[in-house]
This record gives sequence, structure tokens and C-alpha cells, in this order.
Amino acid sequence: MSATATAFSAGPLDSAAAALAATLARSTVEVRPLGRGAGGGAAVGAGVVWHGDGLILTNAHVARGHVSVVLSDGRVLSARLVARDVERDLAALVVDATGLPAAEIGDSSALRVGELVVAVGNPLGLVRALSAGLVHAVGRRAIQADLRLAPGNSGGPLADARGRVVGLNAMIVGGLAVAVPSNEARRFVREQLRP
Amino acid sequence: MEALLSLSNDLASAVERAAPAIVAVHARRLPSTGIHWRPGIVVTAEHTVRTEEDITVTTSDGRSLAARLAGRDPGTDLAVLRVEGLTAPTASLGDDAALRVGHMVLALGYGPRVSWGVISALGPRWRSGRGGEIDRLVRLDLVLYPGFSGGPLVDATGRVVGLNTSGLAHETRLAVPGITVSRVMDELLRQGHVSRGYLGLGMQPVRLPDPLRAQLGLPGDTGLIVVTVAPDGPAARAGVLLGDVLVGLGGEPVSDLDDVQAHLGAGRVGAALTALVIRAGARAELRITVGEQPRRRT
Repeated sequence: MSATATAFSAGPLDSAAAALAATLARSTVEVRPLGRGAGGGAAVGAGVVWHGDGLILTNAHVARGHVSVVLSDGRVLSARLVARDVERDLAALVVDATGLPAAEIGDSSALRVGELVVAVGNPLGLVRALSAGLVHAVGRRAIQADLRLAPGNSGGPLADARGRVVGLNAMIVGGLAVAVPSNEARRFVREQLRP
Repeated sequence: MEALLSLSNDLASAVERAAPAIVAVHARRLPSTGIHWRPGIVVTAEHTVRTEEDITVTTSDGRSLAARLAGRDPGTDLAVLRVEGLTAPTASLGDDAALRVGHMVLALGYGPRVSWGVISALGPRWRSGRGGEIDRLVRLDLVLYPGFSGGPLVDATGRVVGLNTSGLAHETRLAVPGITVSRVMDELLRQGHVSRGYLGLGMQPVRLPDPLRAQLGLPGDTGLIVVTVAPDGPAARAGVLLGDVLVGLGGEPVSDLDDVQAHLGAGRVGAALTALVIRAGARAELRITVGEQPRRRT
């Protein structure tokens, strides 16, 4: 038994997972409805810092109008809803800030079934909670992950083992997490926010 | 993050290694999953086979092939299909005896789709609620999504160590270990069903009065009272009567139905068993030739 105990070392895996969680949490925001109390109401979802100059992506069902966002450094900013696509369940928010910790965006078409993915969000009021799972199936319009989500994860990042965002968590269907692929989100940003 | 990345790559590679040997089985309204176990032979979960005719399988590269039901065993929830023209690779089989509680495992469904979890418990040989002998208890902490029953349990290297099913125990995800799949498959291919020993008796436990135990020198405090005797069954032919109390079989004491079942496993059909019964307050010995369980249509 002692041989088994010494051979077992979760160290590198543990610290890698912690580093991944920290990287993602920096680029994840809370989304709150405007106007309820001082800093707005309780978080209704999450969002991803897409560009350091203030662009944040979330789900359309999370941002139904102007909202406030809470950054990972605690700042509460009001956000303008600049684009919304209900069909793709995507929304773009702009906050008046620069130098935000933008997420690294991955290529969702390169995902392999079975690879590790993690989600960060605000499930059940927990702030920037991490859940881990596997890619269950990949489609052009949706990524399914064998991963436990809860309301409050919506709009938050689904990321691969390198911490690159490959999707925005949108729904729970039959116990599976369903995310909008990052390539779909890129297309949305390109189409909606042409300079 | 290198450690995480290499784990992630290993898991995705495990899926890619196992996926070509998976088929979708169309034998009910919604497909289930099957494993190409030996060339031309597919195994799936018996409870997902609702029709015995016009069964087809779809391979991982999208081909649809006709399948014939070679046999089914509700006891172990296994059904075996013969599929002509199946050229896909067969499953690369791992050693289910090497599984440990806590091992990371994958369940695969046709598609491929995947579910991730751990071995949550292991146990010795057990008997399912429908009388099947399963060589090892393998309990899973993972989700079996719709259509996953009949699919492979895959270890972290992509080798198949069992067949997943939600049909063997209520609310519990289990895998039938590979050793059981191979054993039952042999029997199904040979004769289309799994033989189980049969006495033709209905019995229930009864407490034995202490004076009787002392008088007859019986070790246990319970026996099994015979409440039904199948006409012309093995026990009836041996002379067992309604009201006899069975206290021993094959020289060993019996106190519950599991003790009896232990004498009726695979390969016992045709064997002679000495039954020790209490009849009218005295010991009596009877020779029963174990018969074969009549098959129920499912």
C-alpha cells in the first residue's frame, strides 16, 4: 500500500487546475440587473471579457437590457447592451474601461470529443465557481459537455485545458451543458460590431 | 497547465481509440449502443432489444447493416447480435480485474458521445435481480445518457473493461465486467440462451424450533419450507413433497434462497444434488437431478 501511496501524486494536476481556474476567473464577470439596490440585484448570469477595451460577451437571455457587471477585481460598472441575437443566444455589452483581462479565445472547431473542459460562472449565487467535465459531442451550433451547470453559469466561459475559451455556456439539456461555440461568438462579434 | 493538457489529450485519445468499435443498435424506438466485441459479433444491453426482427446497426462511419439476434440473457442484461459485413475494428479489451475504486473511466455512446466519471465501488461476484451471475460488481459514478446502455466502459487508455447498463439495478449505474460479457457471449453463441439450474420448487424461510434442531443435530436455525412443487419438475421426480423443510443441499446447510441459488449456477444442469429435508419431524435425504430453468419469453 505504501508503494501505491508514494506513487500517487496529484500535485502537478492540482496546481494546473488551480492555475486554470484563476486564469479563467480573471476574465469572467458577473452580470446583474440594473437598478435593484446599490450595486444592482443578485447576479443573473456571467459573461466573458472578450476585448480588454471593454467588450463583454454573454447570453441574450442574461442581458435583456442594460445591466451592470462586476469585474473580477470587484469593480461594478454599468454596461450598455450594444448587440443581441436571441437565436444564437448571444449579447454584446460594452463597459467604459480599458486594460481589462481579456480571455484567450480558442477555436471551437478543433475540439475533440473526450477532451477536458471547465466552466466558470455564478451557479446558485456562488461567485466564479468552477466545474469540470468532458466534451460530450460537438456540433456547429452547439457544444455539449458532460459537466454540471446551474442557473448562473449562463453567459460564462467554457474553456479547454489550456484555458482558451471555446464556448459560452447557455443551457442545461437532459443534464448536459450546452454552450454556444466560440467560433459562433466570433462570427457574431464580426457581424454585429463592424467598425 | 501541462499536466492538465496531457490528461485532456489522453482522455480525447482514449475516446478516439474506442469509438470505431461502437455501433448504434436499432432494436427499439430509440437506438442504444453496441460494442463490436469479436469479428462480426456485437454485444448490447438486453433490455434495449425490444424487437427480435429487423434489427440494424449503424457503424461509426455511418454504414447501416442488418443484424441477427444470436441470443439474449435478461439475467446479465446482455444480448448478442451477428452482423455480416461488419469490417470495423473490434474493441480493444482491457483487464477489468485491474480496475480500482477511484479510477477515471469513460462511458461511450454511439456518435460518439462521452460521459466522464470514476469507479465508485467494486465488489465480488453477485447475482442480479433476474438471476444472472456477474463476476464482479462494478459501480460507476457517471451519467449514462439516453442511448448509452450497451456501450463500453473505457479505461483511461481507451481499452474496454465492461458494458454499461442502467437496466441491472434501479437508480444505479453499473458495468457488466468484460469477463462476464465474454463468458455469456460464448454461451449465447453456442445455444442462444444461458442455462440456469432448476429444482422446480417454491420455498420460503421458516424458523426451526430449538428442540427439533437439537434432536436432529441441525447447525442452522432456519430452513426453507416447500410451498409449491412444479408438477413433473426435478424436485417432484425426486419425491419432494409440499411441506418438506429443506435444510441442506449438496452436503451444505441452506437457510435462504441465495444458498439454494449458489447450487444452481452455470454448468450445474444435469448434476445430482443430495437434498436434506425435514419431513414429519425426521431427516430424509433425496437425490435431485438439477433440471434446466424453463425459459420465459421476454
